[in-house]
Amino acid sequence: MKRRTLIAGAAALGATPLAAPRAQKPVTIRWWYHFDDPKATPDELVATFEKANPGIKIQAENIPWGGGGDYDTRLYTSLIAGNGPDTGMVKFNNLARLMEMEALSPLDKWIDGWAAKSDISADMWRLHAAPDGKRYYMPLQYVVLYLYVRLDLLQKAGVKPPTNFEDFLTAAKATTGGEQWGFGMRGGSGGHDSWMPFVFGTGARPVKGGFVSPQALAQNRYFIDLYRTHKVCPPSAPTDGFLQIVNNLKASRTAMAVHHITTANDMNAAFGDSITAIPVPRGPGNNGFATFGDGSNAVFSASKNQEAAWRWVSWLSEAPNNVLYNKAAGQMTVTTSGAANWTLHPRRFVEATTQSLAIANVLPSVPAAADFTRTAWPQNTQKALLGQIGPDEMMQNFEKLFFG
Amino acid sequence: MVSIRRWATPWLFLAPALLVTALIVLLPVANALWLSLHDVVLFRPKVRPFIGLANYVRALGDPVFWESLRHSIVWVVAAVSLQFAVGFAGALLLNRTFAWRGIARALIVVPWALPSVIIGLIWTWMLDFNLGVLNVLGVRLGLLSASVPWLAQLDTAMAGVILAIVWQGFPFFAITLLAGLQAIPDEHYEAAEIDGAGMVQQFWHITVPGLAEVIVTSLLLRMIWVANSLDLILVMTGGGPGTATQTLPLHAFLTAWSGGNYGQGSALAVILTLVLLGIVGIMLWRRRET
Amino acid sequence: MRQRKGRLRLFVGTEIPVAVMVAFALLPWLWMMLSSIRPERELTTSPILLMPQTLTLVHHITLLSRTSFGQSLLDSLIVATGAVSLGLALAVPAAYAFSRFRFRFRNYLRAQFLVINMFPVVMLILPLFILMRQYGLLDTYFALIIGHGTFTLPFSIWLLTSYFEGIPQELDQAAMIDGATRMQALIRVVLPLAIPGVVAVGIYMFIASWNEYLFALMLAGREVRTVTVALQLFIGENQIQWGLLMAGGTLVSLPATFLFLFAQKRLVGGLTGGAVKG
Repeated sequence: MKRRTLIAGAAALGATPLAAPRAQKPVTIRWWYHFDDPKATPDELVATFEKANPGIKIQAENIPWGGGGDYDTRLYTSLIAGNGPDTGMVKFNNLARLMEMEALSPLDKWIDGWAAKSDISADMWRLHAAPDGKRYYMPLQYVVLYLYVRLDLLQKAGVKPPTNFEDFLTAAKATTGGEQWGFGMRGGSGGHDSWMPFVFGTGARPVKGGFVSPQALAQNRYFIDLYRTHKVCPPSAPTDGFLQIVNNLKASRTAMAVHHITTANDMNAAFGDSITAIPVPRGPGNNGFATFGDGSNAVFSASKNQEAAWRWVSWLSEAPNNVLYNKAAGQMTVTTSGAANWTLHPRRFVEATTQSLAIANVLPSVPAAADFTRTAWPQNTQKALLGQIGPDEMMQNFEKLFFG
Repeated sequence: MVSIRRWATPWLFLAPALLVTALIVLLPVANALWLSLHDVVLFRPKVRPFIGLANYVRALGDPVFWESLRHSIVWVVAAVSLQFAVGFAGALLLNRTFAWRGIARALIVVPWALPSVIIGLIWTWMLDFNLGVLNVLGVRLGLLSASVPWLAQLDTAMAGVILAIVWQGFPFFAITLLAGLQAIPDEHYEAAEIDGAGMVQQFWHITVPGLAEVIVTSLLLRMIWVANSLDLILVMTGGGPGTATQTLPLHAFLTAWSGGNYGQGSALAVILTLVLLGIVGIMLWRRRET
Repeated sequence: MRQRKGRLRLFVGTEIPVAVMVAFALLPWLWMMLSSIRPERELTTSPILLMPQTLTLVHHITLLSRTSFGQSLLDSLIVATGAVSLGLALAVPAAYAFSRFRFRFRNYLRAQFLVINMFPVVMLILPLFILMRQYGLLDTYFALIIGHGTFTLPFSIWLLTSYFEGIPQELDQAAMIDGATRMQALIRVVLPLAIPGVVAVGIYMFIASWNEYLFALMLAGREVRTVTVALQLFIGENQIQWGLLMAGGTLVSLPATFLFLFAQKRLVGGLTGGAVKG
């Protein structure tokens, strides 16, 4: 399958003829993707699609997600150098930047005539809309963050699964003791996902002024105090990443942690019915905030075959294909019909996910969002957790980063 | 004719290396230098106005820069001196004759032969608060009273990443110095022994001068390499907790790629190069003096 | 009696310290290897069990049969071997020139080789990518070979120069009086004597290329995918394939170690056997 020559030019460059007649020739669409499981491949999907669309060949390129933002680094480099793919997987935190680069092609003209449009819920479309009202991102996969709860540990401590913040603290305190902690806080990179439900859980929103609103400030103090004052998190929390919080949960070192359905099967295998997932705690008046973990496809404006790229991208978001795709990706299908018969994860975790969709929310789409998730959030939060800055200063820094 | 040939010979020997280096390294460096004088934002590729030294002024006025510089100094001095100490001892030991010398020499290369990402992950895991083997062993052997979250504390995080890079880098010194030891003729030691010089005297009067060139070169090279390396820190702490392990190249990398401010990142890289250049210049100059 | 005392001294003074150092080098690696042959459940048991309860080869089998890691090992081998060949071909003559000739700009040029390596590579990747694209070299072995070969040049030239300087100039002069050209003097006289240094530098180049990630990711990655890039594929957005990473890490360290097991025989003094030295 792989053809190599020692000094051969890049195949990709040779594959885009200038303006040559290519009516009969099949067009090649380069698609970038990353899967968490290296054993999974999209080969079967590609073969099925190519059979149904004889004029289009899909060149699926697996780019490592990596530890240090490798996928993004590579994406920006190739877009700037004019060697980008036709289409590829993208994240919300890069939307504003890619828009400013004029690297994205608006999909509205196609979405409105797309037969499967209604199989993707209104909530999903709401989350995928760009700040300028257009749609550049095609829903592909998703997770919503929920709370893992070790029912057996909570029962032993005589507390119920918490639904609000007061009960959460009570439960965390009750399950803390010795070599066990109530809450596996994630202070390392990527932890903003599990921090947002706390800070925006009582009505504040991540909009201009929202980070420094009284509710957000109070909730952030509550969050920092979990570690500093109440000590219901392992001492390593400031730098714990997802590997650590998941392992600690599996090792029974923690009783609760915020994560999502990608680890549901693991947890179920380890503890069976003793572990479940519930929507994240919320404040009085049902103002919850469940972080939406996105994964979309975009068509890049530099592509010479945007129509064909759209065909592939939309095909991936149609029910049977999207279910197959998410089987490989390990996440949830964005289609309503696919979710109804979802069998790849135990039902209780699927329900915690779909129940949270109504309160699912994301960060504002501004160019600073990428910097926030990668650098500003871990730096400021860790400093606050270790007492180098106060919790309010941390929020003021975020407000400044997002809204100047 | 002869004089032209005399003049041209060294250049003929140097030409291939110079040519390739100019093309593959010098050109991109010049490019980055040029970009550092412009306001280059990664996601605004069409507008990049010339702003002179503004990126440099902003960099030097930023307290984060000075903090990163301080961390870089600690990082380089501690990592290189420890690598050197362990590596030099290793080279001397592996130069002696014993039955399993060949295997010992090969095994010592193992840490060096691992990619940084693997090294970062293993050490993060071994130092882990909950499941780290070093904490378990430390407690069991009575060295620690309780598990320590090494990488999550301000005062131990830097030591943790330094431990990992010492482990990764000491074989480099062991091997380069071992090769250098081979160039010292045995006759020198034999003569010294006849003159009644002891082990310590032989070390200072024969081994060290004989190795001087290799020692200085390898120290210099390793210093530059360690000063520029960021992958281990990126994997282990990402510069945290807070900014406790953020070094200058990491600061440049985060500014350019995650902050999107490529011009500023290039300026930081140029400053780092100038700092290194100054240190190396002083080292080389002082050596010529002596 | 004296022999036994010498044996004891060797044991206490040399073999025990060497054993300690080898242990320092190997224990983290052994811990990794051990965890690559344990089921993942054992790795999340608290407190962690030092001795495995069950052994399994499932990670290694998965790695080699269900991912393209085997192909990546081959790619890395090709790239690293190519980089060593190219690097030595460029560095040996250059180092010889620096060690044997006094010419204008010599010191500046030597320093220049160092300066270019002071610039953080992460900031060179974008210009390099554009450059390689213009040459049409993206995603080829050659792109990585020339990249790795060139970026190790400064270190290699400096190290080789210091090794060459330990070899007396009179030797090549004697050869040239006997009718050899400069090149012949280098190849027939200096190089054989400098073998330990060349081996050390060759190993340095091999390992530098073997472990390099950024170039391998940015300038190649699809048609040519080295092990470092393949390993990063196991670090996902929401999951780390711990077993595969540990199995991969174990395998990755083996080629260089075996290579060195054979190469270290050449680390024995080139200047023994009575070659003159002033």
